[in-house]
Amino acid sequence: MNSTLPSTTPKLTAATSGFVLAAAITVLFNTALACAKDAYAPLKHVMKSISGHDWTTQGLVDLLLFVGLGFIFMNITVAERIDPNRLIGVLIGAVGIAGLGLALWYALF
Amino acid sequence: MPLHITSSDAILLAHAAFGVTGCMAALWVFVEVLNVRPANMRRIQAAALVAAVCMAAAWICGGYWYLHFYPAEKALILKGPWPFAHNFFMETKEHLFFITAILAFLLPVATREKLASNSAARKLVLSLAGLIAITGLAVEGAGAVIGHGVKVALLHQASKGSR
Repeated sequence: MNSTLPSTTPKLTAATSGFVLAAAITVLFNTALACAKDAYAPLKHVMKSISGHDWTTQGLVDLLLFVGLGFIFMNITVAERIDPNRLIGVLIGAVGIAGLGLALWYALF
Repeated sequence: MPLHITSSDAILLAHAAFGVTGCMAALWVFVEVLNVRPANMRRIQAAALVAAVCMAAAWICGGYWYLHFYPAEKALILKGPWPFAHNFFMETKEHLFFITAILAFLLPVATREKLASNSAARKLVLSLAGLIAITGLAVEGAGAVIGHGVKVALLHQASKGSR
C-alpha cells in the first residue's frame, strides 16, 4: 500500500468532532465525580451548597463542561485532527467505561 | 370512580414517558440512518431533535420529582425488603441518566453532517443512537425496579400491620 496516498476516510466537521470529544470527556468526568463525591463527603457538601442538592450541581457541571469543552475543541480544531473512526471508538469506550464504572461503584461500595 | 392523580404521579409518569419517547426517537434515527439518502435527512434531523428535547424534558421532570417527592419513597425502600432498589438501582440510574442526556444533546449536532455521503458520520450517528437507546432503556428498567422496591416495601408494611 502506498503510504503517500491521501487518507480516504471521510472527515467530520470541527463542530461534530469537537462535541464528540467533549462528550467522551464529560461522561468519564461524570462517573469520576459521582465516585469522588461519595468517597469524599466535603465535596458532596460543597456541591450541595451550590444548588441545594449535589445531584443538581453535578448535572449543571456536566452540562457546562460538555458545552464549554465542545466550543473550545471546535474553535481550536483539536478533535478534527483525530481520525473519525478513532474518535467514535473513544466515545463508545468512554460510555462503556463510565456506565460500567457507575454500576460497579454502586454494587461494591 | 373519581380519579385521584397527584402532581407527584403526573410528574413521575411524564418523566418516564419523555424518557421512552426519547429512546424511541433515537431508535427512529438509527433505522432512518441505515437507509439514509438526501430525501430523509430532514426526518433524521427532526427525530434527533425530538430525542434531545425529550431527554431534556425527562431530566427536568425527573429532577423535580427526585428532589421533591423521592425522599419519602427512598425512606420506604430502605426500610423494606429491597433496599438495593435505592442503593444500587437509583444511585446508578440517577448518574447514568446524565450520560444518556449528553449523548442525546450530541445527536442533533452529529445529524447536521452529510450522512448520505459520509460513512464516518453515519457510523457516528448509528453509534450515538444505539448508545442512547441502550443506556436509556437501562435507565427505564432501573426505574421499574425502584417502583417495585416501593411496592414490596408497602406490601411488607401492610402484611406486618395485618398480623
